[in-house]
Amino acid sequence: MIGASLVLLAAAAMCFLYRLVRGPTLVDRMIAVDGLLVAGASAIVVDAIRTGSGAFLPVVVVVTLVGFVSTAVVARFIEGRGA
Amino acid sequence: MVAELLVLAGALLTCLAGIGVVRFDDVFARLHALSKATTLGFLLVLLGAAIALSDPNDITSLVLAAALQLLTSPVGTGLLGRAAYRAEGYRPRVDTVDQLADADLD
Repeated sequence: MIGASLVLLAAAAMCFLYRLVRGPTLVDRMIAVDGLLVAGASAIVVDAIRTGSGAFLPVVVVVTLVGFVSTAVVARFIEGRGA
Repeated sequence: MVAELLVLAGALLTCLAGIGVVRFDDVFARLHALSKATTLGFLLVLLGAAIALSDPNDITSLVLAAALQLLTSPVGTGLLGRAAYRAEGYRPRVDTVDQLADADLD
């Protein structure tokens, strides 16, 4: 069941990657980056369950924070640029 | 078993968010698909891990990550949506209400 979860997360990452490459606007690409970060963080958590050791779990906290800060910065950039 | 089922449900929700981001035809629809499904999916995965792992250190990290995601995801989505509204423009359909049309944007 853990393997199936990892496969689903990989499929989600492929979907987000498609939107990152194709996305017509910068907001679409930022949506894709957000989704990729969440998929990666979820994969770290699932791997922590698989191995039984939570050595990488602080990375999940850092990734969540960095994802929010990057989203906020890019959103302000898009507003200021006006396109 | 319960933990693995929760993790599977969370991964399924994240996968559905990915499908929505690919299939929907509007920036706002994609933002909608991403924010809701991803938040719930991530929280389910964290909950499953909190049940499966037993070290208090790990549980603290998981709770902190869940709180951060729950606090920052709506704010980030709102910021992105407002940026998209102001930069890309918005073409309203017949059955939608544009509440930002006469709002006082700074």
